[in-house]
Amino acid sequence: MRRLTAPGTGRTRPRRSVIPALLALWLVIPLTPLVLWTGASRWSGTARLPQDVGFRGWQEALDAGMLTALIRSGLLGVAVALIATPLGVMAGRALGWRLLRRPALPSIVVLGPVVLAPFAVAMGLDVVILRLGIPGEVAVVLVLSVFALPYTTFTMRATYLGLDPALEEQARVLGASSRQARRRVTLPAATTGLVTATGLAFLVGWSDYAVTLLIGGGQMVTAPMLIGSAAAGSGNDALTSTLAISASLPPLVALAVFTYAVARRRTAANS
Amino acid sequence: MTPHPTSPQDLRAFRQFGGALLVAPAVLLIVAVIGTALGAVVATSLGLLPLVGQPRLSTDGFTTLVGDLQAATHESLLTAATATLLAAAIGLTIATSVVRAGRGVRFVVGLSAAVLTVPHLVGAAATGLLLSDVGLAQRWSGISAASWPELVGGRWPWATVLELAWKESAFVALVVTASVGRQYADLREVAAVLGARPRAQWRRVLLPLAAPALASSSLIVFVYSLGTYEVAGLLGRAYPEPLPVMAYRLFTDIDVAARPQAAATAVVATGLALLVAVIGLPLVRRLGADR
Repeated sequence: MRRLTAPGTGRTRPRRSVIPALLALWLVIPLTPLVLWTGASRWSGTARLPQDVGFRGWQEALDAGMLTALIRSGLLGVAVALIATPLGVMAGRALGWRLLRRPALPSIVVLGPVVLAPFAVAMGLDVVILRLGIPGEVAVVLVLSVFALPYTTFTMRATYLGLDPALEEQARVLGASSRQARRRVTLPAATTGLVTATGLAFLVGWSDYAVTLLIGGGQMVTAPMLIGSAAAGSGNDALTSTLAISASLPPLVALAVFTYAVARRRTAANS
Repeated sequence: MTPHPTSPQDLRAFRQFGGALLVAPAVLLIVAVIGTALGAVVATSLGLLPLVGQPRLSTDGFTTLVGDLQAATHESLLTAATATLLAAAIGLTIATSVVRAGRGVRFVVGLSAAVLTVPHLVGAAATGLLLSDVGLAQRWSGISAASWPELVGGRWPWATVLELAWKESAFVALVVTASVGRQYADLREVAAVLGARPRAQWRRVLLPLAAPALASSSLIVFVYSLGTYEVAGLLGRAYPEPLPVMAYRLFTDIDVAARPQAAATAVVATGLALLVAVIGLPLVRRLGADR
């Protein structure tokens, strides 16, 4: 093998810490105006900081129906997760454990929604449900479940790839029914993947704007609907920011709890 | 003697049948919803599913707005391509910094995951508050509002591109970090023992390892950026608008005659995304992303 170059001379590199700091700033800076605005009662002109600190935005967000909208978004996320997660677990098991003779075609079908634009699918379905009289809520949940399926399926495929099918077979040999073997042996070992898949499916429903807007026709007021109308037309930056922050916090808290739990499990497993 | 009922062939056939049953619900749901929706979009664009009146086959939906469709396609491709390049470059930089420095910069992974959970709509609202002519960047930089560049709703889709690049760089970073992690740690030691400098380690070890994940995540970012509505809808200017914004504007037009034009715009957007996937997937496969 060709010797590449002489080893490094060991001089100190300030950029070692500068680059991660810059990257962290890139990730954090876009959200700073939201945080500042949520605590501003008055911030007019081109002042660098708010003139009055207060919770005007929060009061206005509550008046705008923020709590109901957040609950509705939560229900939408749960509904999407309830459909997309079990279907994704099943498909992921078949793809991860190579239980199919020709996995290419189903893989392409399940990846399909990644390529397609949600607005185009929603637009087409809107015409159909109007004619068939299907409630908009049902159509929104179905479309979003379809868009969540690639995430749940491929997360579970990766999870099953890392699990040994022999464990389940051993449980069967020891007298477990196939259902017991799946529930008591495989699923507990797949918890991290399962929680990730559920979280991703929930997020598809929780953060959707285009599909709810097109199919719901503004009737289904989820948190993104409120954010969208506040950001586009109100000129009320404190309200927009408060709505945006309150829609971002619940998933962030869930992510923090999940990360902490995984880290604890790992430490427990290592000790 | 009769053959044993659970010969290896029988077992395999049984497993494959079980496998088919397992993927069937997901595949059927996707085919039913997408098939119905795309069928209806194509039929609407050809005048076969009018909101009111008799169906009549015509290509007016496409031909009336040919100029606008071309401008919107151009705007969509420009936005998606720039956003993807930025997201890939920054995402790879984040991944490089994380896998190289190890524990010290693990918090950047946490930040990336946090950014991933933030809805694009929230990102778009935040970008508007940061980059508009009365935004935080203008307030803090001290540049007067009059001479502040038109980043939001201006001649070039700066704000849209930056928002997409911001959120998708976190996505690329997480995918690449997850795919190279362990392997890189091992190979990097070998490379270092053989005398490779950090730059050579990056180019000859990290980049080839990261290439499949980088290519497939970039392809996903590109098609996502082509099809997203809310970011450009909030941060873009009135003309030229990208395809999703144009489709939504026509879809919500009071004039129901605009419906076929809206559907035609959706058909063009879908065709464009499929074309990109058909061109991009073999390239991604060649890099070994399907392993």
